[in-house]
Amino acid sequence: MSDAIKKVCVIGAGTMGAGIAAQVANAGVPVLLLDIVPKEGTNRNAIAEGAVAKMLKTDPAPFMSKSAAKLVETGNIEDHLDKVAECDWVIEAVIERLDIKQGLYAKLEAIKREGTAVSSNTSTIPLAQLVEGRSDAFKRDFLITHFFNPPRYMRLMEIVTGKDTDAAVAAKVERFADVAMGKTVVKANDTPGFIANRIGTYWIQLGLNAAFDMGLTVELADAVAGKPMGVPKTGIFGLVDLVGIDLMPHLQASLTSTLPKDDPYQGIARSHPLIEKMIGEGYTGRKGKGGFYRLNKEMGRRKESVDLKTGEYRESIRAAGPSGAAAKGDLRKLVETKGPVGEYAWAILGGTLAYAASLIPSAAADVVAIDDAMKLGYNWKAGPFEMIDKLGAAWLAQRLEADGTPVPEILRIAGDRTFYRVEGGKRQFLGLDGVYHDVVRAEGVLRLADIKLASKPLLKNSSAALWDIGDGVVALEFTGKMNALDGEVMKLIIEALPLVASKYKALVVYNDADSFSAGANLGLALFAVNIAAWSEIEKLVAGGQMAYKGLKYAPFPVVGAPAGLAVGGGCEILLHCDAVQAHAELYTGLVECGVGLIPGWGGNGEMLDRWQKNKMMPKGPMPPVAKVFETVSTATVSKSAAQAKELLFLRADDGITMNRDRLLYDAKQKALALVDGYTPPEAPEYRLPGESGRVALSMAAEGFRKQGKATDYDMVVSDALATVLSGGDADLVDTVTEQELLKLEREAFMRLVREPRSIARVEHMLETGKPLRN
Amino acid sequence: MQSVVIAGYARSPFHLANKGALARVRPDDLTAQVIRGLISKTGVEPADIEDIIVGCAFPEGEQGLNVARLIGLLADLPLSVGGMTVNRFCGSSMSAIHTAMGQIAIGAGEVFICAGVESMSRVPMMGFNPLPNPTLAKKSAAYMGMGETAENVATKYQIGRAEQEALAVESQKRAAAAREAGKLSDEIVPIETKNGIVSEDGAIRAETTAEGLSALKPAFDAQGSVTAGTSSPLTDGASAVLVTTEEYARAHGLPILARVKSVAISGCAPETMGLGPILSSQKAMERAGISAADLDVVELNEAFASQALACIKDLNLDLAKVNIDGGAIAIGHPLGATGARIVGKAAALLKREGGKYALASQCIGGGQGIATVLEAVE
Repeated sequence: MSDAIKKVCVIGAGTMGAGIAAQVANAGVPVLLLDIVPKEGTNRNAIAEGAVAKMLKTDPAPFMSKSAAKLVETGNIEDHLDKVAECDWVIEAVIERLDIKQGLYAKLEAIKREGTAVSSNTSTIPLAQLVEGRSDAFKRDFLITHFFNPPRYMRLMEIVTGKDTDAAVAAKVERFADVAMGKTVVKANDTPGFIANRIGTYWIQLGLNAAFDMGLTVELADAVAGKPMGVPKTGIFGLVDLVGIDLMPHLQASLTSTLPKDDPYQGIARSHPLIEKMIGEGYTGRKGKGGFYRLNKEMGRRKESVDLKTGEYRESIRAAGPSGAAAKGDLRKLVETKGPVGEYAWAILGGTLAYAASLIPSAAADVVAIDDAMKLGYNWKAGPFEMIDKLGAAWLAQRLEADGTPVPEILRIAGDRTFYRVEGGKRQFLGLDGVYHDVVRAEGVLRLADIKLASKPLLKNSSAALWDIGDGVVALEFTGKMNALDGEVMKLIIEALPLVASKYKALVVYNDADSFSAGANLGLALFAVNIAAWSEIEKLVAGGQMAYKGLKYAPFPVVGAPAGLAVGGGCEILLHCDAVQAHAELYTGLVECGVGLIPGWGGNGEMLDRWQKNKMMPKGPMPPVAKVFETVSTATVSKSAAQAKELLFLRADDGITMNRDRLLYDAKQKALALVDGYTPPEAPEYRLPGESGRVALSMAAEGFRKQGKATDYDMVVSDALATVLSGGDADLVDTVTEQELLKLEREAFMRLVREPRSIARVEHMLETGKPLRN
Repeated sequence: MQSVVIAGYARSPFHLANKGALARVRPDDLTAQVIRGLISKTGVEPADIEDIIVGCAFPEGEQGLNVARLIGLLADLPLSVGGMTVNRFCGSSMSAIHTAMGQIAIGAGEVFICAGVESMSRVPMMGFNPLPNPTLAKKSAAYMGMGETAENVATKYQIGRAEQEALAVESQKRAAAAREAGKLSDEIVPIETKNGIVSEDGAIRAETTAEGLSALKPAFDAQGSVTAGTSSPLTDGASAVLVTTEEYARAHGLPILARVKSVAISGCAPETMGLGPILSSQKAMERAGISAADLDVVELNEAFASQALACIKDLNLDLAKVNIDGGAIAIGHPLGATGARIVGKAAALLKREGGKYALASQCIGGGQGIATVLEAVE
């Protein structure tokens, strides 16, 4: 049996199957996507082909690049099932009907190679039933891999193995799901709903029941069961709207029929007449005519909510939700708040946490598995046991007891201890045996958070820190809000340079946050503008240029390791790195024009250099200039790391890590690989078109203005950008140095930053988070 | 002056740039195939050809390096045949014909192939390195975008959107009908591509309706009246005509389509370049000693519906005789290839439809017009 997965087959091209196939393709692995032959029409592959075509238009995009889409081969199960013999893993994602799944497995058994893994994406059917009637060999290769929707963006995959599943087959699938598809694999037992949906459905049901019983508004319910609990702001009713109200009865029926009769869920599973009525009338949520919330187009897109008492829509209101600490994550304060806020919070949290605690060891082996499942499958900020630690396990047990609710065994074991602690610089969790165990990271997983628990920073100030991450490598961490960049970050970089040069081998720019960096700290810049501290702003610009060039020309390799958003100055620092190891979900770009500015920390020159050296560019001074102008003036942001390569924000040989947890480790390896024989890059020289080029760019911009795609002030901003990119007064027979270009960049930036309309853009961005089109 | 005739006309199918069937075909290969087609169709003796003159609006990249010579080599013409590339933007290949006539007049050859090409997929409009002169950019509209000039003409002549759309619908209708009736297949040389043979036009939108067009957004000016539907599309294509003396054609049994009676060039304001055909056509007709009423066939390039309508109005043309098989809005406008196409087409139509005189004329970016008057040969 080969342990590498080189080709995958996904059967079932519904939303989940197609999305899973796309994520396999995103990993660069060819995938065969099959579905049934449609009853109508002559194209026998129409369903699978249609699914791929639809995904190419879906936003957020299931595919990370157009080339990924080309890795999906489509077909149907009547003509192409024999191609399964070419595949190393077959993922079944067909309709949730046991007879259909079993029938398919019987056919697969005859075709597939031994050792080719077969997994079901079922969310409800027990593994034992799925493999009934199959051979021992088939059972050895079979398991459940449960993805979450949308498969590209949801990091959780629950894996369930049966008693006959070959451990090597499961390990092969787990490794592929983890490393290639970027999923965090949580092992679940073969119990109904596995982990995340079992707890999630319980939580939703409690939330619906309590809101109806207490006569709450949906706004208040979601204001309590959302952000204050560390749950996405959709809360419960908003979430049900999102996933589809009509899904609820199906989930309920499935769980009530498969869970034991004494499971607490049986006691809370209720249907609500209003919900049945809404489904019957097509009010199934966002995909239907509306849900608990809707935008009433006849009333000028008025936001409306359903009144749970009357069942009628009315204008949405702002609920008087939790306030103070109760609104900001203090769960004890939240549940102890007097009145409906506290009562509702307790009704949901008390029940859900008790239920989650009762599932160890039946559904999951330990608290880590349950916490990971809820954080990654439902986007909760904290898992149930992390929430219990906030409330206090002893406090919770006491309150449950007072309510007459059975106290789960693991709560009694915990007593007045916490489920997590840090001991000897290591994060530990409490096991069922009453003993703390280290939270073990898989090989190749390195988290800065773990390093921070065990050590002190080498350097630290209010906006950045420098950490020793072992093997002679240091990590530069941004620590400000949204990892915004300011003078302190630049100061720390300048301090770090001699330290790293003398005592370490390489530097990685990394942080654990969801957003690598939102760019320069605009709030700070605006403050300086408001007091007309122009020299301070110029110092900040020059200081940033100096710090970034310092990284670029340092005598040691520098590797950027971004994940999520990396825009403006956050993109520019990556442009100055020797190499980048990026998380696949990288949204990077130079977005300064959106706030009436231009890149000021060397981004213009770095982008020009990249496009000048790109072999695809036609000769002459204009093509690279026009390309950078187009990308920067429109504030283009990549929608993936793969797309960032197309835009040259990343170089062709920069690495992409699919699993977020593996990013720092991979970046460190990349940095170490550069150490031997490292020499800093040579400064680029530019041949630029000067004023002629600037006129050409301005004419192009003017065309966009006439078409109504750019504003009058966009012309001012884009002219400043054009001046820098075309080299100012340069003549195309001259060479422009990097320093000369940096000076042009500073001058243009300083001109714009004094413009009232740029300042208005900055203010608007800070207030609303959206660009002002003035 | 010797009688100079158009003794053969051929073109490639015209396809939308970037998404069409010719996007992956090099322009030099495309033209070489058209020229081979023309030679085989006319039966002209290759060794008698003096020169290949190729018009191209953006002669760089794959259209660079004196592409005419390279096309001759690609077409396996005898090494003795010359090659010259001429550029007058959209008027390039009509200028190629005029140049050949001049050469014949001074006794510098007898048989010329006048071709034109533009791959708007592979060489962008404005070229790869647009470097306008800043001083001129300030004092003149020389670099103004073509769409904007079309808006200027629409404003100046008060040609409304509905009127422009009516012309576009008519152009599409005529082109689709001609294609349907097989009237275009005579002139089209099937082109070999990596994805098989392409033998039909690809830009024509037979389904176009006035209602459909009225839903389009303005393409160049948010407040304007010119849309993608009333503009010629970015197109890939090549065309060629055989230009020779009447004497040579008769002696060698070549299929004479028409005699070139007169030609003209004129300049006009760059910001209303679409009006270029007015003066150039007037000059050519005056040189031919005819008036618009004498014309039986007119090929007037529809760069934009607005400018075509303005020219039709000022020249007093009979719409029924203008672009009988559809114009550039439907068929496409591969800049450098259009001149040879409309002269060849006018000559072929004069033969097909009967009549005495034909006019082919077009506007040229930067503010020029070019015109050719043809006469039927008994």
